[in-house]
Parts: sequence; C-alpha cells; structure tokens
Amino acid sequence: MTANCAVQTSKDQLIVPSDLDKLTQVLPWVERMACAHAIPAHTQFAMNLCLEEILSNIIRYGYSNEPGHSITVRYSTISKDDFLLVIEDHAPPFNPLTEPLLPIEETLEGKREGGLGIRLFRSFAGNAKYESMPGGNRLSIRFLGTYPAPGEPIA
Amino acid sequence: MQLLIEELDGDVTKVILDGRMDITGAQNVDLKMNVIAGSKKYVVIDAQKLAFLGSMGLRTIVTVARTVKSRGGKIAMFGANQDVEKVLKMSGVNTLLPIVQDFQSAIALMQ
Repeated sequence: MTANCAVQTSKDQLIVPSDLDKLTQVLPWVERMACAHAIPAHTQFAMNLCLEEILSNIIRYGYSNEPGHSITVRYSTISKDDFLLVIEDHAPPFNPLTEPLLPIEETLEGKREGGLGIRLFRSFAGNAKYESMPGGNRLSIRFLGTYPAPGEPIA
Repeated sequence: MQLLIEELDGDVTKVILDGRMDITGAQNVDLKMNVIAGSKKYVVIDAQKLAFLGSMGLRTIVTVARTVKSRGGKIAMFGANQDVEKVLKMSGVNTLLPIVQDFQSAIALMQ
C-alpha cells in the first residue's frame, strides 16, 4: 500500500456520518496519518481493516443504518512504532471485545450471519480497550508497528 | 477494484483481483464473481494485486468457493500478500479453498 503523501494534514480526527457509503473517507485519512506520522504499511493495513469492520458494525447495528448520527475517530502517536486510534459513537452499549464469536464453520457455511468482521478486528487490533460512556461507546485500539520479517510466520 | 478474467487451457478460468476488496470494492465485483461461480468449473484466483481484503470481500470469496465446489468444481487462490494472507487464515477461509504461493501451485490443484 503506497500512501499518498502529496496531501498533508495536521487534523488527526475524522468524523464519519452514519452512512456506509461514507466509509470511503477512511482510507485517505489513514494515508494522511501514515504520511504525517510514519506509520508502517502493515500497520496501515491493520488500521484500515479495524476501522472498516468497527465503523460498519456501528453504522449497521449500533445506528441501525439511520442517517443523522456520527462516529469520531482520533489518531495519536504513543511512541515510535506504537500508534493509537480512539473510536467514539453514540450508539447503545456494545463491547466488540467480549461479544461471543460464532463458530468459524457456521460463519463460513452461511448458517448464521455476522461475526466475521469482529473476528478479523480482534485478529488485527494489537491491544484494545472498551469503555461504556454516558450515551455511547469508546474503543481504543493500539497498533504496534513491528511486524514479522518476510518469510516469518504471522500469528 | 477491478476484476479481470482469463480463460486458460484445461477449462481453467483465472480471475485477477486488482485493488481493494473493501465494502465498496466487494460491491463492485460481486455480480461478476457470482457469474463466475455459477458457470466456471476450475477457478484460480490471482491475488497478486489484491491490496486489501475485509469481511465483505471475504464473504464474496466464500460464496464463490462454496458455489464452485458444490457444482463439482475446484478453486484455489495464489499470490496473496502477507496481510491479505493473514485475513484469509484468521477467518478460516483457507479451509474452504487452498491458498498457495504461486500460479503453478494453483494450477496443479486443478488436476
């Protein structure tokens, strides 16, 4: 993934409306963060994946696809190779870290809907924390920039 | 997101996925993938240019794999980058269709 570094920004916050079509804003925003803060390519992939799965989940289930709501995403650098995304919404309480996962066979056989996105999110989020807020949810996800060298097995 | 099709010897169809298979990308190729699933017997998916794969894209691939196999066909994928391969393994999709390194290995599975 090659980041588009031609457009720089200091705005480390993204506000996404409750519309799945607006998730196209996420990729260019992550690319701008990557340029500004030297985020490695593998970490960008993980960030994009987690954001797509979590944001689409909030829009579909938290907001029931109703327009007029929003989700706030904030980026910050903890230290070199340690990056943080904080996602806040105003949906009913939902903790994606403790939600039971469907057996993988049932998900793949199409017997039951859902679960795949949350499973992927948990696989790619390095270290996540959920907080139930007054009138909403906050999910903080830390990503470590280190990654296995080519040829090394990945978890 | 683009999808290109090449017909090869031995009734094998190569499907080249080029771009990001996120929500929008999956929607863009869903129809073509369904047509392939319903009409082709031996399918090799070329993932060398697949830059991103999310759960919506995975569902598209799972549907194609299940349909091809239910019709007595065979399907395999090759060339996925390290991140995409992790998505395939973490989701368990590699239990539905073989994920191999290169084109020759994928073709060998069509025999």
